[in-house]
Amino acid sequence: MQIEKKQDGSKLLLRVVGRLDTNTSPMLDAELKLDGINELEFDIGELEYVSSAGLRVFLGAQKAMNACGGKMTIKNPNATVKNVFDITGCSGIFNIV
Amino acid sequence: MNKRRCAIVVVALALYAALISVAWCVGTSEAMHKTEVLLDYAILDFRSTIFGAIDTMLGHIAKSSVRSFGQARPHTIEEMQVFAKVLDIDEINIVDRTGTIIAANDPRCLGVSLLDFPESGKFMVLTNGTTTTYSQQFRAGAHNPDVRRKYLGAAFPGGNGFIQVGFDEKHLSGLLVEMLGYVFDEWLLGEKGFFLCADVNTDRMISNPARHRDEATCLMEAGFDSEAARAYELKGETGTGETFVQTLFGEKCYCRNYVFGGHRFVPAVPESEYFGLRTAYVTVFVVLLFLVLAAFGWFVDRVMRDADSLKAYWASEDKRRAKDLAIASTIQNAAMPNVLPADPRFRLAADISAAKEVGGDFYDYFPLDDSHYAFLVADVSGKGITAALYMMTAKTLIKDTLLALHDPAAALTKVNAELCRNNPANMFLTAWVGVLSIETGYITFANAGHNPPVVMRKDGPPRYLRPMSGCMLAIMDGIEYKSRMTRLKVGESLLLYTDGVTEALDPHEVLFGDNRLLDVIGAARSYAPSHICKLVRTAVAAFADGSPQADDLTILALQYLAPPRVFSHLFPATRAGIAEATEFLDKSLESVGLAESPHAASLNIILDEITSNIVNYSGAHGFEVDITVVENPSSVTLVFSDDGTPYDPLGHIDPDTTLSAEERPIGGLGLLMVKKMSNEVVYTRGHNRNILKVVKSFPAVENF
Repeated sequence: MQIEKKQDGSKLLLRVVGRLDTNTSPMLDAELKLDGINELEFDIGELEYVSSAGLRVFLGAQKAMNACGGKMTIKNPNATVKNVFDITGCSGIFNIV
Repeated sequence: MNKRRCAIVVVALALYAALISVAWCVGTSEAMHKTEVLLDYAILDFRSTIFGAIDTMLGHIAKSSVRSFGQARPHTIEEMQVFAKVLDIDEINIVDRTGTIIAANDPRCLGVSLLDFPESGKFMVLTNGTTTTYSQQFRAGAHNPDVRRKYLGAAFPGGNGFIQVGFDEKHLSGLLVEMLGYVFDEWLLGEKGFFLCADVNTDRMISNPARHRDEATCLMEAGFDSEAARAYELKGETGTGETFVQTLFGEKCYCRNYVFGGHRFVPAVPESEYFGLRTAYVTVFVVLLFLVLAAFGWFVDRVMRDADSLKAYWASEDKRRAKDLAIASTIQNAAMPNVLPADPRFRLAADISAAKEVGGDFYDYFPLDDSHYAFLVADVSGKGITAALYMMTAKTLIKDTLLALHDPAAALTKVNAELCRNNPANMFLTAWVGVLSIETGYITFANAGHNPPVVMRKDGPPRYLRPMSGCMLAIMDGIEYKSRMTRLKVGESLLLYTDGVTEALDPHEVLFGDNRLLDVIGAARSYAPSHICKLVRTAVAAFADGSPQADDLTILALQYLAPPRVFSHLFPATRAGIAEATEFLDKSLESVGLAESPHAASLNIILDEITSNIVNYSGAHGFEVDITVVENPSSVTLVFSDDGTPYDPLGHIDPDTTLSAEERPIGGLGLLMVKKMSNEVVYTRGHNRNILKVVKSFPAVENF
């Protein structure tokens, strides 16, 4: 998995490429330093799939954003990822565009 | 008396009445005809008698006059008048050979030339010396048209002139009374007919049938209505007149009305003359017909009663047959295997649709060993319970023999010998027996006179598999069947059927036929066995279009699928183990061409969820992953087994996915995803291991 990270003041942009599973999720989790961030954006256009370990990272980030009144967006999920979001009910929680 | 018998009686009576009417009409027509003939005859006979008599009389007078005068020379009017009076004739002329009247009793005639009048001129034949007499019929006279006069001439010797005498019709009256009065009394027409003759002016009868003489003296007294008869009055020398009806002497008579010589002649035929006979005939006919009809009615009634008892017999026979058929159908149904083989290496479907009168179709399929599977379709001759029972025998025999010998030809050879040994009912059957080598797709088969199967290849249209067929079973002892081989590639199919398919008839009695079967299968988008069975059956039903199914319709389709590929590996229960397992799955999917499949991601997620569960929570030392790939319809089965603590992930309640991010406990989502993304998840515990099987199926790839 590859992670490209771009910070612009209180706005953090992350481009996640590859697979987000048990082995790779801790890496993403480690990259999420959310102090002072109130706008978080994931570009997952090239994310192959996400397992529950990956979902947990997204859910944790969403909770953190909610806690500080920030905003989180997930962009360009593929069909598999969108399906996972739908199955788990996360489509209603995340702001997916 | 029941309704039907009433109907028969009514019909018989109607027939009776109709026939009597016909008989009556025919009788009437016949009697009328006879009456007419008799009346015609009476008129003609009467006229020839009268005219004959007049001719004789006048001939006699003329000839004696010729003798008296001697030669044609003038005489005074007075002399001639005396002569006429003596002879009681109305006219007498002496004519010289030039046709000039040289002597006459009527002064107007003297000097007249007969040649001036066409009719009179004909008398000149008397001057050629060969003809001695010549006469003409009554006609209107030259001087007085009201007087009808008859002329007769007699030649002087050598044709030297002649004497012409004339006699008036009205002059006949007295003569007729004299000549014929007595004749009419005895002149009977037929048995009962008679002649009436009366003076036209006085109506007084000059004759009367003897038996009526005392009863009447004039026509009116006899019952004759002259006014009514006027329309039928006949005069002259030709024709016979028209028949009319009058009541004479109290009896209805058919009459004619002939007026001649101042007299009325009425020939009459009483109705009883011929019509009496008609009544007699009709009566006899009525009686005979009644007897015939009564006999007929009795016969019909008898036949009906027989028909009733026959119907009752048939009804009971139908019931018995229905029961037989139900038994036959039960036997047939019970005999067929109904659980389809679960081997992932091939698929098989079979369908039997029994005709109303159950035939002896059957199919069978069963494993011979782990790698060989037998399947067959057969058709026993005949129908009903006999065929069904024979079918049972044959089916058991084929199965047992095949299980013992494995080779279809060897099995059929033995089965044939066995069936021939004991075949009192002379039954026979056709059978196609195949054995699939599950590992390779080879099919060894033998055919005992059965319809050739259809083979469906990936690279071409369906066609018949037609190597030479052997003889039907149970016909001839000592037949050696030969096995042949064909091979099905992955996805290819074979269709067995009975003649109920190809010999199905449409409403116009057209056969379904071999080519139509190929067309139907050729149009199939999928060669899945169940699909083919359904397709063929539907096509036959649509073709028959309501025509009754004459024979059982049996279809068996088999599709060969490759043996599944199994990948298996043991991994340590660590994070690194999970990574290895992921790589193992990727490689396995790549090796079977599923790396690019949209389902690969789902399989990866499933593997990630299960293995992370094992690693994180089971306390296992290691875990094993078995990947089984089945092609077309593709399915991938992942089996995870670990030596951790007993744990059934399916026993957990799925998390509530409607909760918000804050309310939601993180965790538990993984198993939910596994369930949702797979088709089957099964947990078992055995040999101190947790075993979780997850099956992911893909839709069948179409067209093979």
